[in-house]
Amino acid sequence: MTDKADHSRRNFLYVAAGGLGAVAAGATAVPFVGSMFPAADTLAASKTEYDVSTVVEGQLVVIQWQGKPVFVVNRTADMLNRVKGHDDLLKDPMSQAIDAVQAEWMDTDEKRIYRAIKPEILIVVASCTHLGCIPLFKPTSGREDWGDSVPENWAGGWHCPCHGSFYDLSARVVNGSPAPQNLHVMPYKYKTDSVVLIG
Amino acid sequence: MIEKMMNTRLFHWVDERTQLGSIIKSQLTEYPVPKNFNYMWNFGSLALLVLVLQIVTGIFLVMYYKPSAELTYGGYTVAFDSVERIMRDINFGWLIRYMHAVGASAFFVVVYMHIGRGLYYGSYKGPRELLWIIGVVILLIMQGAAFFGYLLPWGQMSFWGATVITNLFGALPVIGEYLQQLLRGGFAVGDPTLNRFFSLHYLFPLLLAAIVGGHIHALHVVHSNNPEGIDIDQEKETIPFHPYYTVKDALGVGVFLLGYCYFVFFNPEAWGYFIEVDNFVPANNLQTPAHIAPVWYLTPWYTILRTFENKLIGVLMMGGSLAILFVLPFLDRSKVRSARYRPVFRQMVILFFVSVVVLGYCGHSAPSATLKIVGAIATSVYFGFFLLLPFVHKFEKTKPLPEGI
Repeated sequence: MTDKADHSRRNFLYVAAGGLGAVAAGATAVPFVGSMFPAADTLAASKTEYDVSTVVEGQLVVIQWQGKPVFVVNRTADMLNRVKGHDDLLKDPMSQAIDAVQAEWMDTDEKRIYRAIKPEILIVVASCTHLGCIPLFKPTSGREDWGDSVPENWAGGWHCPCHGSFYDLSARVVNGSPAPQNLHVMPYKYKTDSVVLIG
Repeated sequence: MIEKMMNTRLFHWVDERTQLGSIIKSQLTEYPVPKNFNYMWNFGSLALLVLVLQIVTGIFLVMYYKPSAELTYGGYTVAFDSVERIMRDINFGWLIRYMHAVGASAFFVVVYMHIGRGLYYGSYKGPRELLWIIGVVILLIMQGAAFFGYLLPWGQMSFWGATVITNLFGALPVIGEYLQQLLRGGFAVGDPTLNRFFSLHYLFPLLLAAIVGGHIHALHVVHSNNPEGIDIDQEKETIPFHPYYTVKDALGVGVFLLGYCYFVFFNPEAWGYFIEVDNFVPANNLQTPAHIAPVWYLTPWYTILRTFENKLIGVLMMGGSLAILFVLPFLDRSKVRSARYRPVFRQMVILFFVSVVVLGYCGHSAPSATLKIVGAIATSVYFGFFLLLPFVHKFEKTKPLPEGI
């Protein structure tokens, strides 16, 4: 029987049947893997509205957007002053490293430095770009309030408790931090003078 | 194909450490199978396929299902809402849930065919008694898993089905009340019941997977029966499992999947047989649905329960109707296996199959005076089969068995 077998025909049938089986198995995997991606109701909750006028001067508020923490800071004139003058200590002073640290509205140097549509209202994703912890807000300068947890020339900003990354008051990462990037900005726009739509 | 794979260096590396090669040979490429199987022998592999489908779809459903009877703002419960979320919001959630729900019924279709084949061709008889007994254990665990699973959507039929079945245990003397509380975790079916049923619904398939392994192992020790029911020459009258029966099983899988996909995609409720209409209504512990019946695969035993007016006797007879399957190999004393050569047994076993179908029909219908009589007759036939079996060989004239296959 084996002598008379048409092997090219047999191989073709093997490959055709096996190939179809593989396609079917692959197609079957689609709904299962697909089911693990965010569901429709999760995607529907991807936009958040927030009234920034509820944040008083100098205050930091942590809100949620897509289940992630977001910082909203109302910076005082003093805090805005302390954003400047230490560009040499920053990894990415103009927020140009990757897409996630910049936005379309950053069309002037001023906006790239303050990283905000309205300079006083800073809105950034509150996850340290190292491994995702929420950095601690340490807004005053020097070591008076913070002891040696911050460097001597501390200009105010954030300190991540997990692995010691530092960010300045525009959430730009300081040299020597394990975090690779500035805190990320997310898409947002002002719906009215004080209500922002995040997402 | 398989020979090529077994010649690779990687395979040799694995083989030296696991003897995978000799396992493949003894269990697949050189495992001897009677050459005369008919299509009734396809249902074992189909049952294995459905078990895998149920486990895989179940694992994915658990990623979104929440076993809690707590009320939500919508006025339903966490469990009911999570099932609706699977149906509406989860990507392909409807597909995976329908695969699981239809799969439950499909599992019983193929397993009942598998058991029917074993009965008709005498596969339960020596030397395969233990193989049969392991199979009965599998059936009981399947029924348990199906029952636990049916509570999870927390619909009306879930709730009242669980109430009725847990009440059965309450009929037992002395321990009944405690057993009932143990099952329910309270004085009525409620949140604790849902949580433990969910836990057990996850446990039972693990048991199934292990015991199915034992079932297959036992099969491969005593080897398959065949339609003629005779002992065969393991050299001359067999062909290797692979490729001959893997191909035949693959054909069976193709045919099965056509039917399975029809129900999954076009008729998942199967006119109320697979998913009962009342289960689309959230559980309400203050109102019983107008007509309550278990899903079709449990209805034969439900009829046996209903037939007896004494609650305790009904419960015992229902348990007995399943338990008697364990001793079937020892009730049948005939030396001939296959019903092909046993004219009396053949009539009996066909009548038995009819009685199971009639019992199933009665259990699914609303109780009535006529159906009660029909159910009682079918119950008598069901038990009559087992009562008559030990005596059949005394008067049955079996036909001459063939020399070989």
